[in-house]
Amino acid sequence: MDTTTISAERAGRLVEARLDRLPQDMLEAAVVLEAWAGVPAGRALDAGRELMAVRTPEREKSAGALPEAPVREGFAAEAVSFVLAVVAIACWAAPLARELGAEVLRVGLLVALPLTLALQWGLRSRYLGRKDGLAHLGRHRLRLVLLPLLLTGGLTAGLGEGGTVAALLTLTWTAGTVLIARRWSALYAGGVIAATAAMLAGVPALPVLAVTAALATVAVAAAVRVPVGDILHAPGRARRALAAMAIGAGLGTLLVADPTVDWTVGAVPALALLPSTVASFWGGYHLWSFQQVIPRALSGVPVAGPDARNPAWPGLRVLFGAVGRLVAATVVLSGLLMLAGDVFGSRTSGVSVLAAFGLVALLTLIVSLLESVGRAGWALLSVATAVGGELLVGVAGGEPFPAAGLIGGAALALAVALPGAVSLLARPARTLATALWIA
Amino acid sequence: MPASAPQGLRERPAQRGGAHAPPRHATAGAPRARRPEDHRPALRPRIMRAVAPPRPRVLLTTEGTYPYAVGGVSSWCDLLVKNLHEFDWQVLPIVAPHGRPPLYELPAHARQVGRIEVWSETLPMGRRLRPSERRAGAELPAVLVRGLLGWNGDYDAVVGAFVWCRKHPAGVRRVFRSRRGWESFLWGLRRVLAERIPEAGSPPALDMVEAAQLYQTLYWVARTAVEPTPATDVLHVTAAGWSAVPALVHKALHGTPMILTEHGVFVREAYLAAVRSGGSPGSRFTATRLARGLARAAYAGADVVSPVTDANGVWERGLGIDPAKIHVLYNGLRQPAPPTPPPGNRVVVSVGRIDPLKDVHTMLRVAKETLRHVPDARFLHYGPVTEGQEAYGRACDALHEQLGLGDRFRFMGRTKDPDGVVRDADVVLMTSISEGLPMSILEAMGQGRPVVSTGVGGVPDVVRGCGVVVPPGDVHGLAMAVTTLLRQPALADQLGRRGHGRLGRIFNEAACVDGYRELLGAAARSGHTAVER
Repeated sequence: MDTTTISAERAGRLVEARLDRLPQDMLEAAVVLEAWAGVPAGRALDAGRELMAVRTPEREKSAGALPEAPVREGFAAEAVSFVLAVVAIACWAAPLARELGAEVLRVGLLVALPLTLALQWGLRSRYLGRKDGLAHLGRHRLRLVLLPLLLTGGLTAGLGEGGTVAALLTLTWTAGTVLIARRWSALYAGGVIAATAAMLAGVPALPVLAVTAALATVAVAAAVRVPVGDILHAPGRARRALAAMAIGAGLGTLLVADPTVDWTVGAVPALALLPSTVASFWGGYHLWSFQQVIPRALSGVPVAGPDARNPAWPGLRVLFGAVGRLVAATVVLSGLLMLAGDVFGSRTSGVSVLAAFGLVALLTLIVSLLESVGRAGWALLSVATAVGGELLVGVAGGEPFPAAGLIGGAALALAVALPGAVSLLARPARTLATALWIA
Repeated sequence: MPASAPQGLRERPAQRGGAHAPPRHATAGAPRARRPEDHRPALRPRIMRAVAPPRPRVLLTTEGTYPYAVGGVSSWCDLLVKNLHEFDWQVLPIVAPHGRPPLYELPAHARQVGRIEVWSETLPMGRRLRPSERRAGAELPAVLVRGLLGWNGDYDAVVGAFVWCRKHPAGVRRVFRSRRGWESFLWGLRRVLAERIPEAGSPPALDMVEAAQLYQTLYWVARTAVEPTPATDVLHVTAAGWSAVPALVHKALHGTPMILTEHGVFVREAYLAAVRSGGSPGSRFTATRLARGLARAAYAGADVVSPVTDANGVWERGLGIDPAKIHVLYNGLRQPAPPTPPPGNRVVVSVGRIDPLKDVHTMLRVAKETLRHVPDARFLHYGPVTEGQEAYGRACDALHEQLGLGDRFRFMGRTKDPDGVVRDADVVLMTSISEGLPMSILEAMGQGRPVVSTGVGGVPDVVRGCGVVVPPGDVHGLAMAVTTLLRQPALADQLGRRGHGRLGRIFNEAACVDGYRELLGAAARSGHTAVER
């Protein structure tokens, strides 16, 4: 083939044969002519220009490739293990209160819940929610061993026995988050159940708790020994993790700041968390599909010109679906819990406490949505509103019914957080571009 | 809505040398901290200056190559850095956030001056934007999309936008996460999509997902502009793409001379990748237009463009570079020992990554056809699968299986001894669809082995009279050439010896190093002259 001269017509045929379409522009034509037809570069550029002068392609419709949906393996196992752990830990309250006194346990829980939630949110933001997060965390194994010692020493020195209980509970619960992220949830649940059995069998509760916390810490140190290999993804930003910690601490404070919810009376208050916890797993699982639903809704919607579809609806439907699932599951499971309490003749928390925990679960769901798309400020404001509202109800209203403060605070916070979530999902293109894809 | 770049983004580049008065270092590899004698007044510093003239500093910007990856560009960087010890080298790589250590050890007169991680989570530090800056900054995405993706994009506006990013490091993310930033981007993108220029074709109707993907990419281009660059005397950019961005900002701020070396042609390779990708029209459009925009900016900013082959120069002229700027400097190899006779085992060797650009499918088909005529021939391919091209690697395995090549064509993986594997060959084969000046061909010539290659990039210039050049993708032509050389060892030997001689005359390492010594030295002197003026 003579490649030193080539007519526009021949160039057009060659390019179309290779591409199975008209070239996008003169450069694409030139590249094809040079790379696949051996036309020298200078001539290919000229031919490409001439070709485009005689054959301009029609404007093509385009739809971008959608990002791959993340695989969420082992979700059911994770949920079951978590629920088993919650039930088991709920059973610790009675032996601990009996052995150490209700006040010591109250102090312990007052510190442990906010601290644990802060650590859990921070760890998820910086490490556990990231692709190579465990490998990054594994780089701090020495700190993972030293920090528990410092935490236990510091809290014991500051708060006495209550501080010790707080530190041991914090270590056990936080370790659970890491172990579940490592897919060692069965090991964690097994350890917690064994500790519960020991406590119920009359073994002194505090030593059992200490051994459990120590073993959990060792398990964490082992869990983060993942093969480092090629770490392709960076950990989350420290500043973002700090904001997440503040949100977690706020939610923990919300749970313990209502004096009418007593966590030290046997397993009842902790078991009351069960319906909302299970419900939030279900609602949360549904909500996180918004990351796939939004691009799907925008696929094929042209940048220029109108489109018949309203791309906002699919995202909003996910949000409302998640809220609906959470509410429905909380109601049904709370009813079942109350029924079980009646059948077995044990006292359960009142309806208001169960409703309060449901509202807190809902608030956690919305706040975590806001935090995940980088709207941590809004999320923090909502949590601060919740705690403020709760304290205000306590001060002003004198708590007309159990958990009134919790309900008031959570409801107020939802009024702040929900519009933020709705506005995010109602503008899917902007949210995708400015929030989801720019961290 | 904005009609063009706002005042805030059109910050004028400094006059050459206006802000350029960098400190000097007396010896190679000397510590950067000031030593006690530096503070002594009067006579002594003058004497020191007279005895030890300042060493010029060269900022080498790379992307995805040196010192973190192996390959032709990295080898070339290493050659220059290690051999040009009269310069203080400052290496600034652009990499993905993989956290791996460098693969090349820098000599004493070179140091890495940072690492630009794209797609990472880290954020640049800086003060918050004032309201007026926020208003000006909101137009940043519009300026970038119009300047980089428009067919006749405004280079000054793009560089002005890059300079704005450098001056407001913490503002870039804020701008790109804002409603105004997104809206200005959409406005700019719609203007680009409405362009009607015959040679540019008709832009496709992008959808919102593609628009969001482009927005994210432009954010990272802006983030690349944010990263600080150290005081330097010469900017040496190793590709007309992302690695040009920090250099363009530095040049705009300090007037430092900028040299651009292109091994392949950035735009050409972006088009090839887009054609092969099978992506949507929108993704092809955005990838190629962005590459073209970055390359145009790099070409406009460079004082000298030094392609490694004349063929690249043709492309660069075609893309609008002033021919007076182009100064071809060939790659080279160390003068090899006299060639050994070919082994006569009918072994055909190819060296290169397993990558669509190397067209390994064609190589497999050439092997199949050659084996029909020369059944005892054996093909050995050395080279790893390119990172990210694992699917292509699997497709090659599948085709190998389908063609029933068995042991007669073997993928040997990476080699640490390219000269040795080429020495054991009777013929060296290359089937690439894009090349600059391929080292594997120079290595074949260095060992006195004949080359059969596709005529892409600088290959025809190199393999002149010492091998056979065939149009890319021409399986029959390539197979016939290989067959002929395997059947006629005397001819193969003659071509190989010619190649050996040609390599020594033209493509030798010393000539390459000397060429850059001269070019970089002249650039450093021109920079100094401008400062003194």
